[in-house]
Amino acid sequence: MMRTIEIFMVIIIITAAFIISSLFAVLPSPRQVSPLNLRRLALTTLQTLDVDHDLSETVFNESDNLAWGQLQIALSACLPPNIVYNLTAYEVSSASGTELYTSIKSISNAESLGIASDAGSYLVASSNVTFDVTPEKIGEHGGGGTLYVLNCSDANGWWITGYTAQSLAQDLYSLLSPYFQTTIMVQNTTQLGQMLDGTPLQNETLQNAVVINTFGEAVPIPSNYADTYNRDSYAEYCYQLGKKVHQYNWTWVSIVGYPLYYVSNTGYFTGPNDHNTWGIYGMKRVEPGGFNSFLRGLDDQTYSYNGGWITGSPGVVYLSSEALYYCNYYGIYPAPYHTATRALPSGITSIYNLNVTTYIFNPVGNWIAGAVYRHDDSGALLALGLTRTPDIRLTALGLLSDYKPRLYASEYTASGTSRLVILQLGQVGGV
Amino acid sequence: MVSSTIDHMVATVVFLGALLLFVGLFNQTIQTAILYQRHRYIATKCSDLLDNILLNPGYPLDWGTSNCTPTGFGIQDPEFTQYKLSPFSLMRLRSSTGELVYYPKTDSYYSNITMGYGFLLVPLTEAINYSAAARLLGINGTYGFQLTITPIITVSIKELQPKNPLILSVNVTGMGFPLANAAVSYCFLTVGEGGGGGPYPSYTMEYGTDFADETGSVLLNFPSVKTDVSYVLIVYAHLSGLVGVGYYEHATYEDNYVVPFIDNLEERRVLIAHSYDVHGGDSPAEIAYNASFVLLTEDFTLREMPMENSTGKVGKINYGEGKPYKNITIPTYNPGILIISYRKSAQETGVVLMPWGISAMAFPVTFGDDPFGREWVATDIRQVIVNNIAYQAKLALWSLQGYGVIG
Repeated sequence: MMRTIEIFMVIIIITAAFIISSLFAVLPSPRQVSPLNLRRLALTTLQTLDVDHDLSETVFNESDNLAWGQLQIALSACLPPNIVYNLTAYEVSSASGTELYTSIKSISNAESLGIASDAGSYLVASSNVTFDVTPEKIGEHGGGGTLYVLNCSDANGWWITGYTAQSLAQDLYSLLSPYFQTTIMVQNTTQLGQMLDGTPLQNETLQNAVVINTFGEAVPIPSNYADTYNRDSYAEYCYQLGKKVHQYNWTWVSIVGYPLYYVSNTGYFTGPNDHNTWGIYGMKRVEPGGFNSFLRGLDDQTYSYNGGWITGSPGVVYLSSEALYYCNYYGIYPAPYHTATRALPSGITSIYNLNVTTYIFNPVGNWIAGAVYRHDDSGALLALGLTRTPDIRLTALGLLSDYKPRLYASEYTASGTSRLVILQLGQVGGV
Repeated sequence: MVSSTIDHMVATVVFLGALLLFVGLFNQTIQTAILYQRHRYIATKCSDLLDNILLNPGYPLDWGTSNCTPTGFGIQDPEFTQYKLSPFSLMRLRSSTGELVYYPKTDSYYSNITMGYGFLLVPLTEAINYSAAARLLGINGTYGFQLTITPIITVSIKELQPKNPLILSVNVTGMGFPLANAAVSYCFLTVGEGGGGGPYPSYTMEYGTDFADETGSVLLNFPSVKTDVSYVLIVYAHLSGLVGVGYYEHATYEDNYVVPFIDNLEERRVLIAHSYDVHGGDSPAEIAYNASFVLLTEDFTLREMPMENSTGKVGKINYGEGKPYKNITIPTYNPGILIISYRKSAQETGVVLMPWGISAMAFPVTFGDDPFGREWVATDIRQVIVNNIAYQAKLALWSLQGYGVIG
């Protein structure tokens, strides 16, 4: 009998243990087990309401403005009926490095949001404020930082159909001058000769500069250089250009077509036969020998003439992934594909000790339609072997992709320009 | 001695019985806890998977506007960030609600997202099916899901007076509240009587704006409608960032009509078929059609985008063998509405619509398996934007691996 009583006592103890453990083992309600992600719902609701910046405009209105009423209607309309909300807008002010949030308006459709609520926050900017972006200057943390844009009034261009070199120079100035410490428009061939001789035009740093030839397949030639370096239909002048690029560690930019195919000086080439055989006077044909000589100069080789044609026509070429990335970064959006008929062969990199540091277009086979080639020692070349007419946005994109100057956005939380909107959601009904 | 033995036996039996009972009770509690844990896991998975689908454009990025099969599944608009969805990727999802439509002249089946006279028929060969999406999401065989994309704003239109003047009542409501004082912009297209367009139906378009009252309603009067004519009204309503679309159409002749099928998304080509070849019917006859395309502009007004004749905008279509379907080319990849007016005779006319991108007519999309009868279905929702139209995306997720628990 005693054993039975003991067993019953054991049963009572186990029962008590079960009841006590059951009290502690409280299972969550189904809503807690499988909850709506209210935080995400709040955020996406705020994003939806701001799709056309309506929310941004509303929260900068006075608190008695009708727009707040419309916002409340829209909130009630877009949330499911079992969701209650509280939307609060805060003024963001900053003082001595700390930010202060002051509540300016609150709208709600319930006194309480229940025991479980969650919130999403959204920072909006006033439509009256413009946020500046300040670019880092090329050469700011090293030598160089000078951009020369050839704008010579005494030269003609070729394969820039529809433009003049001067209009292209103006556009390039607008596009690129914010990124350089000094931008100089080289106004005539005399100034070009001066800089080739190593004399700064405006006390700028000559070394490590970028020189953009806006004349397409032609290049301006100073008179004294035309007198001195006229061998092989002025291929010797192109060799001198290559030497100077190497000497001063310049980046020479050819914006379209076959680089250095003609030389131009309207004050020097004045004879009846001084035209490029296509009716443009003040210009002489150098042909492929010009660019071959330039490459020899860039590689610091001795001068010798080579008139062999080296470019190819890979046809349609596409911007490289790197270029596409920098399109978004710098906000420059040329067409993503172009036609290349003067692409350079990849073999020039080994012949002339060049390294491709930036591909503007994806190579097609052995043809490179647009890239920046840097010499092992000094000097660089950006060549866009596209067919006419030029798109100077590609030139700007190529240079920026290679130099990669950073963009500094102005502080987003500047006083009075931002407001923080917090939408807190809760669920009612059900379990 | 005997009583002691009996005492022991009774005590042992009672003890064993009680032990079994308590083991069962504790086991029950543990099983329930494990199930709750699993349910919680499914809910978390549901939220993650929904974000994964909505915040990723898939691969290739432009799969919505091309004919390729994606190798990564996602429906975000590749041109935007956050919860903005591509109206064309959504169009390529095989609808799990509409019945497939077979068109004998192409010998093809079409995924059917048709609503009323708003046709949206996408070839099955170009539609992404549920199993492919599950495979690309990495949940094939482990979870089942259903994705529902529903417009937040409902714009319902009712005809109150058919003519002289035509009065239409427009009612704008949200998910839980009428959209009071919403701005309403509309495009009203009437099909001309009497053959003003030569052999093809002519049409006139009228645009306007108005405001809803406190109940979200507005009456639109069209005094120019003095007789029974075919017309279509497309309405956009917006308030404080929320934009909704609705449409209403009335045809004086519905025995024969045109049925637009999307033929090639990449080339924006649409087939114009005769209704008799698709749905059958009585008294089949040749009909002439005239197509136009309207876009929602940034100021929430509808504007017609001119179509060249070379795009196939006008033509005649007949039923049966030897009468081929016609082609039409949509002029843009911007979402809009293809409006095709048709006529058999001067007085027998009608009009059909086809959204180009699901948002243009606020079509809902239901994609995936049916959650009905599943043991535990977790759901999560997000507010999303499809070409500026407010939608709600809801994902229902359940486990396919069973719930057996060994305690």
